[in-house]
Amino acid sequence: MSQIPNLDNAPLNLAALREQSQKDLLSILKNIRGKKCLVIDPKLAGTLSLIVQTSLLKEYGAELRILSSDPLQTECPKIIYLVRSQLSFMKFIASQIKNDEPKGLQREYFLYFVPRRTVACEKILEEEKVHQKLTLGEYPLYLVPLDDDVLSLELDQSLQECLIEGDTSSIWHVAKAIHKLEFAFGVIPNVRAKGVASTKAAELLNNMQLEDPVNMDDMGIPEINTVILLDREVDMVTPMCSQLTYEGLLDEMLHINNGSVEVDASIMGAQQDGKKVKVPLNSSDKLYKEIRDLNFEVVVQVLRQKATSIQQDYAEVKSTNTQSVSELKDFVRRLHSLPEIARHVHLAQHLQSFTGKPSFHARLDIEQTILEVQNFEICFEYIEEMIHKQEPIENMLRLLVLLSLTNTGLPKKNFDYLRREILHSYGFEHMNLLYNLEKAGLFKRQESRSNWVGITRALQLIVDVNDTANPSDISYIFSGYAPLSIRLVQHAVRSGWRSIEELLKLLPGPHLDLKRGGLTFNSSLDAHPGSGAQQTIDRVGHRSLVLVVFIGGVTFAEIAALRFLSAQEGMGYDFIVATTKVVNGNSILRPIIASSKEGMM
Amino acid sequence: MSSSVSVAAEWDLLSDRFYRRLTLYSPLPWSAPAAAAANSSSSGVGGAVIGRLDLSNHIVAAAPFGGPIAAVRDDSKIVQLHSEPSRRRLLLFSSSGHPIASAPWPPLLPRLHTLAFSSSLSLLALLSDGSLLRFRLPDLQPSPSSSPVPLLPPSSGGVADAVFWGGGVAILTEDNRIVVATDIEAADPQLRDLADPGVGDVEHVLCMAVVEPQFVMSGSPEVLLAVGDRVISVDEDGVQVLGEELEIGPVQKMAVSPNGKLLAAFAHDGRLLVIPTDFSRVIFEYECDSALPPEQIAWCGLDSVLLYWPEVLLMVGPNGDPVQYSYDEPIKLIPECDGVRILSNSSMEFLHRVPDCTTLIFGIGSMSPAALLYDARDHYDRQSAKAYDNYQLISSSLPEAIEACIDAAGHEFDVSRQRTLLRAATYGLAFCSRFPHERFQETCKMLRVLNAVRDPEIGMPLTIQQYKLLTAPVLIGRLINANQHLLALRISEYLNLNPEVVIMHWACEKITASASLPDTVLLEGLLDKLRLCKGISYAAVAAHADSSGRRRLAAMLVDHESQSSKQASIPLLLSIDEQDKALSKAIESGDTDLVYLVLFHIWQKVAVEKKAPLDFFGVINARPVARDLFMAYARHSKHEALKDFFLSTGRLQDAAFLLLKESRELEKNPMSSKGSPLHGPQVRLVEQAHRLFAETKEHVFESKASEEHAKLLRSQHELEVSTKQAIFVGSSVSDTIKTCIAMGNERAALKVKSEFKVPDKRWYWLKTCALATVGNWDALEKFSKERRPPGGYKPFVEACIDAGQKTEALKYIPKLTDPRERSEAYARMGMAKEAADAASQAKDSDELFGRLKITLAQNSAAASIFDTLRDRLSFQGAY
Repeated sequence: MSQIPNLDNAPLNLAALREQSQKDLLSILKNIRGKKCLVIDPKLAGTLSLIVQTSLLKEYGAELRILSSDPLQTECPKIIYLVRSQLSFMKFIASQIKNDEPKGLQREYFLYFVPRRTVACEKILEEEKVHQKLTLGEYPLYLVPLDDDVLSLELDQSLQECLIEGDTSSIWHVAKAIHKLEFAFGVIPNVRAKGVASTKAAELLNNMQLEDPVNMDDMGIPEINTVILLDREVDMVTPMCSQLTYEGLLDEMLHINNGSVEVDASIMGAQQDGKKVKVPLNSSDKLYKEIRDLNFEVVVQVLRQKATSIQQDYAEVKSTNTQSVSELKDFVRRLHSLPEIARHVHLAQHLQSFTGKPSFHARLDIEQTILEVQNFEICFEYIEEMIHKQEPIENMLRLLVLLSLTNTGLPKKNFDYLRREILHSYGFEHMNLLYNLEKAGLFKRQESRSNWVGITRALQLIVDVNDTANPSDISYIFSGYAPLSIRLVQHAVRSGWRSIEELLKLLPGPHLDLKRGGLTFNSSLDAHPGSGAQQTIDRVGHRSLVLVVFIGGVTFAEIAALRFLSAQEGMGYDFIVATTKVVNGNSILRPIIASSKEGMM
Repeated sequence: MSSSVSVAAEWDLLSDRFYRRLTLYSPLPWSAPAAAAANSSSSGVGGAVIGRLDLSNHIVAAAPFGGPIAAVRDDSKIVQLHSEPSRRRLLLFSSSGHPIASAPWPPLLPRLHTLAFSSSLSLLALLSDGSLLRFRLPDLQPSPSSSPVPLLPPSSGGVADAVFWGGGVAILTEDNRIVVATDIEAADPQLRDLADPGVGDVEHVLCMAVVEPQFVMSGSPEVLLAVGDRVISVDEDGVQVLGEELEIGPVQKMAVSPNGKLLAAFAHDGRLLVIPTDFSRVIFEYECDSALPPEQIAWCGLDSVLLYWPEVLLMVGPNGDPVQYSYDEPIKLIPECDGVRILSNSSMEFLHRVPDCTTLIFGIGSMSPAALLYDARDHYDRQSAKAYDNYQLISSSLPEAIEACIDAAGHEFDVSRQRTLLRAATYGLAFCSRFPHERFQETCKMLRVLNAVRDPEIGMPLTIQQYKLLTAPVLIGRLINANQHLLALRISEYLNLNPEVVIMHWACEKITASASLPDTVLLEGLLDKLRLCKGISYAAVAAHADSSGRRRLAAMLVDHESQSSKQASIPLLLSIDEQDKALSKAIESGDTDLVYLVLFHIWQKVAVEKKAPLDFFGVINARPVARDLFMAYARHSKHEALKDFFLSTGRLQDAAFLLLKESRELEKNPMSSKGSPLHGPQVRLVEQAHRLFAETKEHVFESKASEEHAKLLRSQHELEVSTKQAIFVGSSVSDTIKTCIAMGNERAALKVKSEFKVPDKRWYWLKTCALATVGNWDALEKFSKERRPPGGYKPFVEACIDAGQKTEALKYIPKLTDPRERSEAYARMGMAKEAADAASQAKDSDELFGRLKITLAQNSAAASIFDTLRDRLSFQGAY
């Protein structure tokens, strides 16, 4: 199975989108003749593996290297740098070029920025005096399809840039990416946004349409009916909770990277020890598609059933000799799914080694207690103990942030005490981190009464789950907590923001609800009351498509919740998710911790 | 068929084809008004006397595609001056002889050698010393400057001969070398030497012709030279003698055909030869009466050659007798793609082959369907029944007849004849529904445009074929360059082309021409027209206003640019020093890249003008987006500037964090970590940070923390000295304590504990962990008995379990007070019964039991099913 998803069941023609990106890349390689060395930045290399097979790049005469601060080792006379427009990469490139100089190497250097060139990057190249040596270009890769219904901009720093650094570049990128989608699929008539970044992105999108309009004459009805933009900042609670779906857990424990996880070969049942294998995870794997969004408890049961039934079949085949050919055929057909079952049995077993630990359950308990804002003391002491035990800082911070968010900060006494304990336990170098978390509102002093309880009640976020196997609500995802972000989406598709306006004011950032396009058919529809509902019925056999954009990242659990929603009866919507990056609590916190420590924020 | 006869009577037969000479404009009005423009004071006094443009004593250039005519008096000829000024002027006329502009010829220049138009219609003047002067149309302003650009090195001796084509020039120098430029449109054309033709000193180059680069495989021009009795071809790579076996003899005059394939050569013995440019054979030859070389030689289309001697114009075709025209005044032949224009002092004519469709209709005795259709329409208009008879005769070939009538109409210059031909076509159309009507409409549209530009006021006598070749956008470009904006706008609208270019050009011209108009008035006038075109770039107009020295107008125009992120407006605002506005626009656009663009610009300006960076800091500090972006960038490369910024804008805490970052960088430096003297600066930086934090009111915590940090660094330094081990600096308070305990230095650990007021709870965790790490179980037990631990025995239990010490753990588990914790601890060691017992004492034991099962059942139940199955089917490595 390939790491590149086949995208056959995508509600939009995402394959075409990907093909374009592929073509763009190959034409860069084609236009630079002869032997060349393609130097890619490390993150981008992973991203490209979702777009094009590395073997294909090699066919075009490209030798592959990963960009680092070390000098470049290659025989090729032509060097093509393909990097995202990040300042730090420019220094690497400059140092590599300068390294070649004294050796008298006659090389041609090309630099392709992803997705576009930026003045700031070029400025660094100028300062380093290598600007003249480079031929500059762009590789406009904005959206990468991760799966049938998930698109990513792969901007992993978007959240910290927006929240802490005040660098709003990613908002522009989001708007640009949606606008690019509109060129392929038509102008999206309904836009709903919540949060500072989201409303800004919606405005930019409108400006872009004015400036560089998508011609709507030669397109039929727009394929995407509504776009809902949400800032991660609006709901930081959800990513801090431990994900309990199969896919979510895989991401938490093994870290899903570009649609695959890397595990020891021994875990997957192979004999060679110590070797790592990559296991692709996308909907091309039918079994995975079936179980990825289930609560892990249920996944274990499903896998057990599947395994048991094959085992029985096997026993029957062995014991009775009077099998008809068709029965045998049937058995063999079912045996074909065996590798898939085996793969997930191995993974699930590996996950169980984490979920079976008492500490895992203790943690879930505490999360639940924090979400329900029941017993502050217990929660506080739990975190205090984690600090004293010097548990990994991101694990501790995740709970701490959750506690601070649900209580709108910590009382001054506790706040100062914990901060001091953290610095003593993990080192004074984390002072900047605490300052940044405070700036971002993730861990702060309590200044007003918490409204979290009000929000949970109004949106029914805390729900008792009776039957995890046959859930009726998205709260099964976190075994009793319905993600706030998805509740907002539920309201937004059902009736727009109007019905929850008061509630939205309790959450950070402004909101916006607008109709666009100035389409003649749209305004005529508006004349009829309840046109929103009508539209879904009008297109018989066509379900409306809603694009949900998360600026700052989305978790697999939330994606699962959206898939669950669209699978509900009477739901006339399909969802497609676009995000700056798929994240979880740790992957949000880790870069903040790292760059705070390095003083880069 | 009376009318048809009269049409064909004007034709001349050359071999089997008809040619016709159409008078486009006559008489030409040029003498009088030109003089008026040149010398307004004497305009009333009979222009015929003064400044009459006489081809005989002017150097004249005419642009193809019905383009303008430029002339300057030839001072190598003796001229009788009447009352006109003696100074030479450069004159510009339309093809219809209307004066467009005139300008004094720059004084003190070398002799003018050739005057020519480039394909984008700038006027080029090649001077005899090999320098080039360029004039802009329509106002004949020298551009880019009034001093000529030298093309040849002074050693070359100047220009012997030169041939221009639309995009370039080939120059034969006096020392018999050939130099070509193929980018004559560029302000600074690049010259290339061709191979040395190897012409001896005694030899003489008789004439020269150029095969234009688009007709040559290599893409660079090929120059043909007639030297002595041979013809040589010269290009970049070498020299080739051509057609020796043809024995042509010395060639006096040459012309290359419009498709670059054929060469017409006039030999010394009066023969005219037509030869392929590769000289493989003679296609035909004609012996002229005169052996004197003609003054001009030109191709008329692809099948005949025109030779001009004073008073005689001879048209020679492949077979039969040539056609002879006589002129009693000098003429100039202007080759076009489908014929030749003949300019004389009194008229402009067009000589071309009669198109086939026209021959079909008007040919004497023609009974072609097209002729019959034309006739039918005539009968129909006279209400004669013969119209229908004619129709019946041709009903089967009606479409081709209609086609011919439409085409013939397209080729006509005479509007009434266009009309009769089109009417004939419509008569046929009435009977023919199959015929694509668009063909008809298309031709009508083109004719409308052509008739409009052929008007003597405009004076662009384009044929339909030239128009198709030129294309409508280029025609519009030519019109606006001739300042015919209204017509250009009408044509764009009529043809559904974007009027942006026209309006933009108009606006720029308007600004140039309205130097005396106040800004606000001019702005109103401009906006009126700019509004006509949606999406037009105000920034581009503003840029022009700025370069015309109207900065205020430029700023006002940019204000009207609604598209803030249109890249153009921001650099423009910067160039006119509107930095604040530029920054606001950039921020508004949401495109951080544009914000950076402005930031760097201002930053650079501050540096260049040596102003205090405070101005810059002030500007950005007022705008959070710009400020944050500057900070993000500066963290990567401009540390000092960033620190200055923080300090000057009162962001002391940020400056302090920056100092802390520096101190950590010192730590990373391997030179400093081993307790070296570099240690001092690190502590000092932390202390500096502490003082900065202390200066603010809001950062008491940070201030205290950095004070402690400095203290810790000092204690660690001391520890490293006393233990002689460099393992302390850089670790946390807790780690320092753990290290001390693990080293058995309880005293040092206690000292750190008291110095940093470590709470007992933490102390217990740290000490148990450190003791378990080094396996000092006795010390651990002793520690547990010191006193009742403030946080209970959990740290002891966990330390033992984590180290896998079951017996040790069992010493402490019973002491856990919470039955829940006790049960879990037992469970973790796999002691199911004890765990269950403890669980039963807990409050909500059900849930606990459930969880225990999971913990204990790790490797049973489900898992075992998987295992057995896997073993039996052995599908390892199935991936």
